[in-house]
Amino acid sequence: MKLMEKDTTVTAEQTVETDAVNSAASVEAELLVEEISIDGMCGVY
Amino acid sequence: MWRVLIPLRTSSISLRAVVIITADSACELHPHVAVRPEPFGALAYHYDNRRLVFLRHPDVVKVVTSLAHHDSVADTLRAHDIAEERWPAFVSAIDSLISSEIVRVR
Repeated sequence: MKLMEKDTTVTAEQTVETDAVNSAASVEAELLVEEISIDGMCGVY
Repeated sequence: MWRVLIPLRTSSISLRAVVIITADSACELHPHVAVRPEPFGALAYHYDNRRLVFLRHPDVVKVVTSLAHHDSVADTLRAHDIAEERWPAFVSAIDSLISSEIVRVR
């Protein structure tokens, strides 16, 4: 029973860590590229 | 595992296909895209879909413009000495560029 609790804790920690890595990657990815819309602007194409 | 949605258009309906992109994928800059250097990085403009994307770091400019010269995204990142902890952000950024059709899978 104790072993199961320990495993659950480790899994939860890994999930939190993975989420943090994915979140950090998403934030940096947003900083690396940014798409802007030029539809409706006159004289740009 | 990274997922990218690429819109497929027909005359009457719009479909979306899911493409799985990883660091092992081979990509290239779309041939109808022009990249203009800027102080912050570069502007990428697609002449067909008229999308304009800011590449906001010199590293992402180097990576995106040299994807075609390497067998995979990972090889490209390695060639430009991009630290491995930044790879997920670069793969995610390339995902975004694929959905804008600035970059394509080859």
